[in-house]
Amino acid sequence: MAYIYTLPMIFSAFGALLCLVRRTYFEEVVSVIVSLATIVAAVATIFLPNFSNTFLYVDGLSKIMLIVISIVYTSTVIFSTTYMKYMENPLFEKNFYYLLMNVFAFTMFFTVSVNSFGMMWIGVEATTVTSALLVATENNESAIEATWRYIVVVSSGLIISLLSNVFIYASIHTLSFSNIMSMHITHADRILLLGTMMAVIGYGTKAGIFPMHTWLPDVHGKAPAPVSAIFSGVLLPVALYVVARVLQAVPVGPLKEFSFVLGFLTVSIAASLMVVQKYYKRLFAYSTMENMGMVLIGLSLGKYAFIGAIVLITSHAFAKSSAFFLSGNILAKYKSRKIEDVKGIFKRMPFTGYTLMFSSMAVTGTPPFGTFVGEMMIIYGILKNFPLFYALALTSFLALAFISVNSKVGKMVFSESSEKVMERKRVGRSIPIINIALAFLMIFLIPQIEELLSKGMVK
Amino acid sequence: MEKIFTLVGFFEILLVLFMQWEVYTKKIITTFSIASYTIAAFLLYIGIVEKEYLVITLAIITAVVRGFFIPWFMKRSIVKDPWREREIRPTLSTAFSILMSLFIVVFAYVLYRITIYSSVQLSAGSIPIALILQGAFLMVSRRNAFIQLIGYMIMENAIFLFEGYIFPGLPFIVEAGIVLDLIGIVAVAGIVVKMMKNSTSDLNESDELRG
Repeated sequence: MAYIYTLPMIFSAFGALLCLVRRTYFEEVVSVIVSLATIVAAVATIFLPNFSNTFLYVDGLSKIMLIVISIVYTSTVIFSTTYMKYMENPLFEKNFYYLLMNVFAFTMFFTVSVNSFGMMWIGVEATTVTSALLVATENNESAIEATWRYIVVVSSGLIISLLSNVFIYASIHTLSFSNIMSMHITHADRILLLGTMMAVIGYGTKAGIFPMHTWLPDVHGKAPAPVSAIFSGVLLPVALYVVARVLQAVPVGPLKEFSFVLGFLTVSIAASLMVVQKYYKRLFAYSTMENMGMVLIGLSLGKYAFIGAIVLITSHAFAKSSAFFLSGNILAKYKSRKIEDVKGIFKRMPFTGYTLMFSSMAVTGTPPFGTFVGEMMIIYGILKNFPLFYALALTSFLALAFISVNSKVGKMVFSESSEKVMERKRVGRSIPIINIALAFLMIFLIPQIEELLSKGMVK
Repeated sequence: MEKIFTLVGFFEILLVLFMQWEVYTKKIITTFSIASYTIAAFLLYIGIVEKEYLVITLAIITAVVRGFFIPWFMKRSIVKDPWREREIRPTLSTAFSILMSLFIVVFAYVLYRITIYSSVQLSAGSIPIALILQGAFLMVSRRNAFIQLIGYMIMENAIFLFEGYIFPGLPFIVEAGIVLDLIGIVAVAGIVVKMMKNSTSDLNESDELRG
């Protein structure tokens, strides 16, 4: 039975191995096939009961994460098949790029399927090992510097989370998530509390949570579009998945309040920084940071806000990956990352223009996208737990983010341009449309998400 | 055992303090190598006395990877690229670095006393915390990528000291995975450092990587 839950891991690892074979287009075909297979395998798990043994722990939350990862992974691989053609001087050959992408997906599937905080740490750290070189794919000096910042900042953060594992183990003598859950911890001693807080900071580093977020805009700004998309869409939520597990296992007051404060600060800092952004990829990066802050708030509040956080993770994953794919298409045509250099997308690349506008509305929580519902559920959670002021303050930061992103994207899309149409029919144009449609369709799947989180499977 | 731990910890702190004010990369690498061998020897001693084969494995890995291989790899790169030899423009002055390092040692002690001392009851338990903070400080105070990498590995060494002596007993599979991952990250970092045409101080400080 256990093997069914490991299929996404097996497929992606198998795909990585096959990428070692050097044949024209072979690595692309293989990667697309295995990534599609991971979607089938991940979706199949939602009709199966929860599963746990010494190594694996797959419940409703894991299943949702498996599905989201597999879909964003697939769209990234398919989008890469066109995007790689625009790269002038890639750092390595195409087969190595796909090999890293498949191993990277494997590490994410691994992280959301394992039963031990120690193994989760290994998975998250392995995502850094496998993805660092992907950031530097475009092989220029600033991309390499961004890669270096990524390695240094994220690894330092993960050292903190490694220490958190040591502390948690020292306090309760197990790292197994299922064992810790069976303890029903309601009171944490000093070492356990310190360990869990360190976990929030450490994994929060990888998720772009303030104050360890500094790597995020650099990497998202400089990585190739498909890499930014998969980072923003699923890598950051995978790190927050571990934080969610910590909060589920040790649901004590100070830890929840600590997470709430960090989430709140993340939203406020990101929203404020969005106002002054001059580069569209960095703008989307700060938008990701803002969304991750909201997710952390939702996870810390629990109940409906927790469901809201998961809805936000799923719909944001599709919407933001779409936004980054489109930013790649724009970069390929306009050859500039500056907002002021990109004019008249609507006239020159009509499909891209429409989709980008919808994507930016989706990532800023505009109805009717799933992000809106997710954010509303989180704000409802705040209203239930805190005075009105907190909800108002948070809403104003969300409004600031909304205005910043949509006004800047609006300028890029609707400004005048005398240049001719330069959009071509390619798969790179369709993938963002599919993803933004998924971000909208999420609102119809909220009951299923709730059922998965409460019962573990859909009947 | 506690006396030896205190002695090793004190020696480690001294070595890190030396690294904080040193500007020649090669000397910092050699010092780091000595620090790693010392921790490896201490872990080996614990492993033999307490018959903990896992701790012995950790000791061997520490000696081979961080005592020998990584310093050797870095020194070889310096021979190829002589501009990496010396930190040209340190972010902080030497005097300020020393002062900060001493402050960190005191801060780590205070932090330890008010947080986990009541549970650990070990007078020298603040040493690994001081080492973690010293490693972090070395990373933020230097621009040379090799020295930043050494700062990261000092933090790793401190974790090994923590889990080898203060909180031993993590499951083997977890320990093995951690070791593999840490080797992986250092290997990738090594590749990226090699890709840099200049040290981080000379990198093009593009406007896009700000704000």
